[in-house]
Amino acid sequence: MSSNVTRRVFLKTSVAAGVSLVVPFYWRSHAGPSAKAAASPGASFAPNAWLEIAADGEVKIWCGKSEMGQGVRTALPMIVAEELCCDWQRVHVVQADLNAKHGEQLTGGSLSVRTSYDNLRKAGAAARAILLSAAATQWNVPVSECRTENSFAIHTPTHRELAYEKLIAAASALQPPADPPLKNPSEFTLIGKPTRRTDTKLKITGAAKFGLDTRVPGMLFALVERSPVYGGTPRRFNADELKSAPHVRAVIELKSAHLTHQFGDTSGPGSRNYTCAGVAVVADSTWAAMQARKLLKVEWNEPPSASESTASLREKMLQLASEPGAVIRTDGDFEKAHADCAKKIEAVYEVPFLAHATMEPMNCTAHVRNGECELWAPTQVPGAAADSVASALGIPRERVKLHVTFIGGGFGRRLIQDYAVEAALISREGGAPVQVVWSREDDIRHDFYRPAAVHVLHAGLDAQGQLVSWRHRGSSPSIDTFYNGSGISPQAAAQVESLDFPALFVPNFRLEFAVAESVMPLGYWRSVSASGNQFVLSSFFDEAAHAAGRDPLEFLLAAFGPARKIPVGDGQPLDVGRRRAVVELVAEKSHWHQALPAGRGRGIAVGFGWGSYVAQVAEVTCDAKQSTLRVDRVVCAIDCGIAVNPLGVKAQMESAINFGLAQTLKSAITVSGGKVDQSNFHDYEVLRMNDAPPIIEVHIVPSTDPPGGCGEPGVPPVAPAVANAIFAATGKRVRRLPIRADLRSA
Amino acid sequence: MAISFTLNGKAQSVDVSPDMPLLWVLRDTLNMTGTKFGCGMALCGACTVHINGEATRSCITAISSVAGKKVTTIEGLSADGSHPVQQAWMEEDVPQCGYCQSGQIMSAVALLTKKPSPTDADIDDAMSGNICRCGTYQRIRKAIHRAASMKGGKAKSAA
Repeated sequence: MSSNVTRRVFLKTSVAAGVSLVVPFYWRSHAGPSAKAAASPGASFAPNAWLEIAADGEVKIWCGKSEMGQGVRTALPMIVAEELCCDWQRVHVVQADLNAKHGEQLTGGSLSVRTSYDNLRKAGAAARAILLSAAATQWNVPVSECRTENSFAIHTPTHRELAYEKLIAAASALQPPADPPLKNPSEFTLIGKPTRRTDTKLKITGAAKFGLDTRVPGMLFALVERSPVYGGTPRRFNADELKSAPHVRAVIELKSAHLTHQFGDTSGPGSRNYTCAGVAVVADSTWAAMQARKLLKVEWNEPPSASESTASLREKMLQLASEPGAVIRTDGDFEKAHADCAKKIEAVYEVPFLAHATMEPMNCTAHVRNGECELWAPTQVPGAAADSVASALGIPRERVKLHVTFIGGGFGRRLIQDYAVEAALISREGGAPVQVVWSREDDIRHDFYRPAAVHVLHAGLDAQGQLVSWRHRGSSPSIDTFYNGSGISPQAAAQVESLDFPALFVPNFRLEFAVAESVMPLGYWRSVSASGNQFVLSSFFDEAAHAAGRDPLEFLLAAFGPARKIPVGDGQPLDVGRRRAVVELVAEKSHWHQALPAGRGRGIAVGFGWGSYVAQVAEVTCDAKQSTLRVDRVVCAIDCGIAVNPLGVKAQMESAINFGLAQTLKSAITVSGGKVDQSNFHDYEVLRMNDAPPIIEVHIVPSTDPPGGCGEPGVPPVAPAVANAIFAATGKRVRRLPIRADLRSA
Repeated sequence: MAISFTLNGKAQSVDVSPDMPLLWVLRDTLNMTGTKFGCGMALCGACTVHINGEATRSCITAISSVAGKKVTTIEGLSADGSHPVQQAWMEEDVPQCGYCQSGQIMSAVALLTKKPSPTDADIDDAMSGNICRCGTYQRIRKAIHRAASMKGGKAKSAA
């Protein structure tokens, strides 16, 4: 990413408009040894960092992003293969280790396809151009008479064919063009075609190697008892007693170490971006380390903020959200317009802290020796992991080598690199390769959490039922001050987005935010602040529709107004037509206007961001006493521009809906005395098979627009769609997540 | 003291602490990493294996209790992913991150052994102990129905 794009600007604009970022595109001068050897007979053709054609015709394509389930090891190689015109059946996908030749390897922000699309097309096209040129030279015909197809160069007039592998030597002698011709999207044969994942076989046979599956000769295993309160430190512990326990090799105190942020920015005063201090127990096996840890007794120094509880933070947020906050956006004159409104509504919405709870607990394997460190890391940001480790060890970044493993779920947790630093520090002290393994309890109690939040909203309707005033005051701990420090501007610290609907669609609009200080470590949870904010916005908008006595779908479309593009500063203009289209499509596919029996209801919600447009309709059944709730069906429409792999887009929407349903129905982290109350899947509940809706339908809007993101935009609309459906079914308005708890307390 | 059992059809003997869970014997002692650690409390199902054909959470199963029994892991289901349940998983493109899928597949195979044509309710009952955070549940349901309808889908346990 361009270094002059600050993280904040980046996040804001990427969410709002979907920026296209420049990723360096490396040519043969940057390529590895295989390119240099390419001219010798039997060698391969490796014109750039992304692909290599072997003598047997196999095409290796490197994936520069981390595969954590989102399908990058399929979608990204498809882009290269499309322009290379190679036989997809002969493609072998290789995971790239950390290497500058692969450009920015950060995997997050629903960015992978968006930021790789142009460059990977060029990489494939450049290789194709010289293969074609080599074939034309061999036939002594003009290039214009030749074409490529399925790993062959073809001389169209004479139907002569040459397999790519027969052109390796000749093509390797040619310089790839810097600006190769790209296909017209109408010529695509792979992009846009539903394509099965390339990694499924590995994942159904147990052969896929995740971080925890790393095995290195002589390796030891470590578990870490971390300070129960973030920011605490060990005062004393019984190291001597433990060292005599069976199979224990070392007991090591780990001090807090600063972490490099995913975007490499500098942290100002007040930044709390560090590993949690603790005591590591190193043993011959994971089990031995787990057993020895049970004998560990640590007394902790706790920070003063350790008095925090869920109740005390809630009271603070409620207070802050009830007062004027920093103004994030203001249009028209809310106070004046609201005073004149014929009908007014107000509501308080709340969301809890959330843990990521990836199925593969945090872990990393490190081997520190001779002033060097080798890492096997399930990380979303190999660069930040290497930077963090280099800094903690006091060695140059060039001396950190990092292998990217399969990742057993990321959801933003692995944007933070604490496990990598722990592994490196323990390996250095232990003098051996070490795998640091987090138990599930460690994982739930030492996450970087989605912030809890309280929102107080007011809206007003005129005599005709038009929405004319809207004021939203939000308060929560700030992810941005957590990482960047307390010196950043109130706008930068805000956890609300100035462009989120209905901003720009209500004439008198006011958005305010107040940071609530918290002891909790904070992070990026799939769809970040939108995960909670969209519940608030799409729910309160539904309240406004009902207050106006209008059908929520009609009210939404009326608020959008006609299809048009609205300029929004430096970002992509806001495309009302694309918003309308997904809403109209989801309405049609969900049979919005068809009546449902008593006790059942439909709700609609939207989410626009990461360069994509999503609308969802949830259908629920609530029993008469409202003590049970079943989500029967979720219908989703998405416009993500060109859908590189429609099968992958569909899978990501299904995933996002189920992930969003977990926070909708079940998940919450609470705090007592600065410590997380939950510990495992019995008290931090997530979605299970028996909660999963029988039907999820995904409809993709055909598009020729540039690709948008797909990992996150499906998450935010689920909760409000379900909450709005509950209102339609029962007349009960849910304003607090998770919904099930709220229904119980009703 | 050595503990002997049958692992994926072959005799296996390990000399470990008798209370060591089967999961860690597989992963750390035998380097068979297809069986996954997820929670350590039999709450998530990632560690599911078959013991004498029964789906069992290996994370809470002491190795001493396995002595003389037949253990099947994901690696033992088929050498090449050809088991009907694995094939159905391929057809439905089920896995995303894939971490839970060894356990999902082992639970599904055990279900199909007992109920060759399960209903959605049977699937909910049998599979709700296996968590998938990527949310592949709808595809797992489809894949189980597909496996049930495939020839030979009346699930064999390789042990």
